[in-house]
Parts: sequence; structure tokens; C-alpha cells
Amino acid sequence: MDYFEVFALPRILGIDLSSLEKTFHELSRRYHPDYFSTAPAAEKTKAVRMTALLNDAYRTLRHPVRRVEYLLSLHGFKSDGSKVPQSLLMEVFEINEQLEEVKAGRASAEQTGSLRAQIKEKRERFDAELRQASLAWDELVKANASEPIRKEHLGKLAEILSESSYIRNLESELEGKGKGH
Amino acid sequence: MPKIVGIDLGTTNSLVAIVEDGTPRVIPGTDGSRLVPSVIYFDETGTVLVGNGAKEKMVEKSKNTIFSIKRFMGKGIEDVRADLPLLPFEVSPQSEHIIRLKIFGRDYTPPELSAFILRELKRNAEASLGEEIKNAVITVPAYFNDAQRQATKDAGRIAGLDVLRIVNEPTAASLAYGLDKRNQGTIAVYDFGGGTFDISILKLKDGIFEVLSTSGDTHLGGDDIDEEMIRLVLNEIRGQTPDSRERELGVSTRIPAIRKAVNAAKEDLSAAESVEIIIDSLQYKRTMTRTEFNNLIDPIIERTLKPCRQALQDAGLQPGAIDEVVMVGGSTRIPLVLQKVEELFGRIPHTELNPDEVVALGAAVQADILAGGQRDMLLLDVTPLSVGIETMGGVLSKILPRNSTIPASATEMFTTFIDGQTNVKIHVLQGERELVKDCRSLAQFDLKDIPPMTAGMARIEVKFLIDADGILSVSAQEQRTGKYQSIEVKPTYGLTDEQVEHMILESFEYAESDIEARLVIEARIEAETVLNATVKGLSDDQYASLPDDEKTAITAAAKTLRAVMKTEDHHAIRGAIETLGNATMHLAELIMNTAISKALKDKRVTEIENE
Repeated sequence: MDYFEVFALPRILGIDLSSLEKTFHELSRRYHPDYFSTAPAAEKTKAVRMTALLNDAYRTLRHPVRRVEYLLSLHGFKSDGSKVPQSLLMEVFEINEQLEEVKAGRASAEQTGSLRAQIKEKRERFDAELRQASLAWDELVKANASEPIRKEHLGKLAEILSESSYIRNLESELEGKGKGH
Repeated sequence: MPKIVGIDLGTTNSLVAIVEDGTPRVIPGTDGSRLVPSVIYFDETGTVLVGNGAKEKMVEKSKNTIFSIKRFMGKGIEDVRADLPLLPFEVSPQSEHIIRLKIFGRDYTPPELSAFILRELKRNAEASLGEEIKNAVITVPAYFNDAQRQATKDAGRIAGLDVLRIVNEPTAASLAYGLDKRNQGTIAVYDFGGGTFDISILKLKDGIFEVLSTSGDTHLGGDDIDEEMIRLVLNEIRGQTPDSRERELGVSTRIPAIRKAVNAAKEDLSAAESVEIIIDSLQYKRTMTRTEFNNLIDPIIERTLKPCRQALQDAGLQPGAIDEVVMVGGSTRIPLVLQKVEELFGRIPHTELNPDEVVALGAAVQADILAGGQRDMLLLDVTPLSVGIETMGGVLSKILPRNSTIPASATEMFTTFIDGQTNVKIHVLQGERELVKDCRSLAQFDLKDIPPMTAGMARIEVKFLIDADGILSVSAQEQRTGKYQSIEVKPTYGLTDEQVEHMILESFEYAESDIEARLVIEARIEAETVLNATVKGLSDDQYASLPDDEKTAITAAAKTLRAVMKTEDHHAIRGAIETLGNATMHLAELIMNTAISKALKDKRVTEIENE
């Protein structure tokens, strides 16, 4: 069972979060291992596996980026946030150079601020593109588009995703996130 | 349906609670005390005391009175090295991956020591409820890692309890607060106990308590405040006292006395504006004001605020978005703590329930949910730390992010690098850092008996599953052959299943030899009394009037008893006491009669004198 099937959803990207949560709560009440603690071992194990699947599905589908990643992985696309996307090839040297300056503590507050703004602007641009492309995907699904057309669109989604995750990585490096706390 | 109890296995105090008629209540011990101090005292005869009786020995018998064992759960020696100078315990050399404390020549692991506390709580519950208790829910700090959770479960097994669930303390507390009466909202639980700190942010909706994020520090609590105060006192004594005088006073051996004094001062300062710290044995006396105390502990309290901000950030919330703040743990009685938490969240925290009891009450509520007593509330908790696997170059590849709702799972594909390779090793870790060396090693999984194939051909699907207790398990299947792989698990910090089994067996013996030891001691004490009485009788005038065979019988029986009482056989001791009793019966009667007539005579004399 894939994550969309868990929630009885078609493979679409525009998901209403409050109805997703409602279904999540209903299914939790049906499958959660807390309700099977006195049941036979086999049923208990099944409850744990079912709930794990439900939680994995909810964690993935409620997040707009993870949702796209998952859809792509279902269609055999591999995401790689470390590869420099073609469209960023020109700017990436400059951004990286500035980032090194910031990390080494040589950048002024002004320079850091400008880099932050530059990265944020790009991230927002990609986020908007991703939203657009996601909506377009849903239209194709609704219109029952042919397999080659779908594949082509998924390719486009994959490209935007790799751009946006590349920028996201730069952003978290700048904020020092994911470096432990 | 057998009863399920809720247990708060705390650093300082432990409690057991149960839901009856829909209401949770704490079950007091036989001494009437609701809190069982998490202290275990061993004496040289093998007798073990737990709770208030053991706490009394902390100063006088500090070496064999164990406290705050929770801080050692799931830890190796390197993790606790910094704490050891202030602790009176002897650590066994075999402590690299599991701390072992040496007590009268025997090594004890933290799960075995915690099991003594759990057994005491189990007994208390059984005495009060009048039935055997086999099932329990035990709470742990939300920020406990896999090894610490597993160690807690092991402790339960050693104590003869089936641990149906491990529940996070802050989440348990939120259940006890009856916040479900409020239909929905966002709650922050600030749990500052004796040894650990947790913050959990929960979203409450239609009876579902969904944890959004959790953070904390499993080595930050009231103990750290005590230790800060101990250091202050030590510095002051050392500052005033020349070295020789210090040696004479044996300052470093009096740390247990200092600990007791500063702990009392700390507690008093929650209400008083200033207190006296007096340590007679060190001729030390000083006054401490609340302000001075606040300045001393401010850095410690500040350390709790960082995880709070982290949890808010992980939940994607601003402090103002929190509707309710709940205070849990004894350290939240400190006015400065209350003040700082109020400042951070901008609202007055809840302190209605006793902060020492609220976790145990919540554990009982969770136990009731498991027992099917009520189905309205459901707790959805998260894993506090990311789980990852070691990849090339010692880099951690995260497979499950922190704050994932549990149970949770992740699947990874592995392959072979050499032709015919039949083994693949997987190193699993927990932590947020990028390099393996900065994370906590969890276990090595060894996938065995992979069908021999060309390098890279095998496709082994490995499934990582974190259950509702927050404990990881791993299963693997080779995709081409569909064969399930056998996996050998080597926990990095923890006991293997075999070791736990062995300890369970030992604990049975322990429980039995415990009773045996007590029976022997009691028999010996009685033998002593009987022998003393006999010796007295031999010097009595009446002894001379006995026939010779009676005299021989008495001396023979006394000799036998003297020999038998040195053995460990209480049946034999009792038998010898009885034999001697029979042999001396006639003599006793004679002595008694003369004593009575003598008493009468004495009485007459005094009566005459009085007249």
C-alpha cells in the first residue's frame, strides 16, 4: 500500500491539510497499538506496522516538498539535493564564495543580510514554481492525461525540486541548522 | 482483566499509581509515604532496603547507598566521568559500555538497581490492591535515547513486570492534567525533574494528544543545582581551611553530608527568602539568600530555555501560539524557574497538580487506556532524536527525522561490494549531527547468510521500525530470493537479551535468598537470646540441684546450637533452639518458681518498709 492509498487519495499534490488531519485521526483511532495491548501478539504486530505506515504517510503527505519527492520516487525518479542544477550553474560560484566568507566569520552583518535575502528570494521563486507545477500535475491527473505527458511533467517537477532543495540546503547551511544543537 | 499500574521511575523519587472508577490515584507504601525515594541501601549481610529507609543511610553509609541511578541508565563510563568525583560509589572496571557499580564485591548494572525500586513499587501496589501485579506502564524522559529506554524496559523485566508501554513523562503529565476537557489547543509541558529536563509541545484536538515536537537534556536537573551548591560549599571550606585541617576534617569524604544540607537549603529557598546552611561535622555555617541562590542557579535554568526554543522552532510555532503551559517535576517549585518559563511563553503556567505526582497519575491514565478502560483519549508521541545509518566517510545518513510520530518506519536498500559477500554490517546511530563520531551509537546490525552473488547484485531491503515505546528494531529481506535475513544485533550501550535473561534468573534467586537471609538473621538473634538466658541459668543456684543427665543434656544442646548458628541453615538453627528449650524446661521452671517466691518476699520487705 502506498502513502496515497493509505489515505484513499488519488496521486495528487494539492492536498487539503485539515481533511488530511481528520482522516489521520480517524485512522489512528482504528489502528493504534494502544487499542491492541491485550490482543494476541500477531494482531499487536499488525497494529504497530499499520500505524507506522499511517504515520509515515501522514509525515510525508502533509509536507508540500516531501509530498512531491514521494510522488517522484513512486515513478522512479531519484532526488538528489547535492547536484548543482543547470539553471543555477552561473550563480552558484558566487553564492558559495559568499557563504564561505560568512561561515569563516569574515562577512559583515550587511553582507550576510544581503546573502540571506538573495537566497530567500530564490527559494521563494522555486517554491512558487513548485506550487504551480504541482497544481498543473493535478490538472493532468484530472484530465486523465496520457502516460508520456505525465512522465514529461514529472521530469519538470523533479528539476524544480532539485533546484529548490539545493537552495534549501544552502539556506540551512547559512542558518547553521541541522548542525546539531 | 489483570490490573495495569502506572509507574514513574524518577531520578529522586518513584511512584506507582492506578486508575480506579475512572480516577487516577497514587498508591502509598506500607509506611504511608506516597513517594518512594529512588534510593537503594545494601548491607553486608545481603539485606536490601529501598525508599525512605535507604534514604536515611545516605550520609552514614554513603558507599553502599545508591541514589540517582537513573542518570546512569543506558550509559558507559565515559558519559558520566565528570559526575563521578562528587559521587561516593565504587565503579567496576568493567564499565566501558554499561556502568557497573561494585557493592560488597558484586557488580550491579543500572537496570538491576532500578529493578530494586520497581520491585518495591510492585510490592506496594500488590499490598494495597490485594492481587499480583504483572503489568505496568513506565515513564521515561521524552529525550531518553533508545539505549536509555531499553534499559528501563530491561529493569521492568528484571523486576518481574511486563512493561506494556514506555511513555514519555511530559506527555503522561498532559494526560493527568485533564486538558482533554478543553476541546482543542496547543500545550507546552515543561518538565524539570531531579536529573532530567524535557520540553514537549502538544496539539490537542478531539481527545487526540499529538506531540508536535520534543527536546530536552537527559543530564540536567535538580541534581545539577545540588552539585553547584556542593561546589560552592567545598570552595568556601577549602578557601578558609589550611590543607592539614581540611584533611583532618576529611572534607571530600563528607560530600554526602554536604549534599544533604544543600538539598534541604535548596528546598527551603522555594518558600523562604534566606536560609542557613549548617554542616556540623565540618564546622561550616553560612547564610544564603534567595538572590544569591538565583544568581548561582541562573546558568542552569538558562540551559532549559534553549531546548524550549528548539522545540518551538521544530513545531513551527512562536511562543505566543502556546495556549497552556504545564509545569512538571520537583524542580519547577523553584520560583526562578516559574518566573523564567512565564517570561518565555508570556503566560502563567499551570501548577495546580502536585509536580511530583502528576507523571505517575498520567502513567496510570495511559495504563487505563491500554487496559481498555477508556478510548476517548489517544496519545500520539514522537521520537526525540533522528535515526541514521553510517555511510562512507563516517557520515550519518538520516533515515527518520526527529519528531516523527511513532510508531514510524523507514526502508533502505543495501547491496554487497565484493563477489560472493554473504555479510553486510549496518551501524545505526541516533543524533542530529552530520558526523557519526558526534552521534550516539545505537547498535551494529549484522545481516548474515546473504546468498552469494556478484558484487552489487544483492538487493537487501532493510526495514527500520520504531515502536510506540520509541525503541528501534530492524528486519531485512533479500529482494531477489525473497529470503528474510537473520540479523545479529549488538547493542552499543546496553544489555543483550541473554544478559537480561540471566539477570531475571539471578533476581529470582536474589528474591529468594533475600528471604532466606532474613530468616537466618532472625533465627540467629533468637539463638543468641536463648543462649544468653541459658548461661545465666547455669550460674543459678537451682542448676546445682538438677540431676546429672539433665545437666549433660543442657550443655550438649547449648554446644550444638552454638555450632549450628554459624551455618546459613535457619531450619537447623530453629531445631537446635527447640532442643535447648526442651532441655532447659525443668531448670527454667525451678528458676521461675524461686524467682516468684523471691519476688513475693521482696515485695513483703518493701511493703513493710513503706509502712
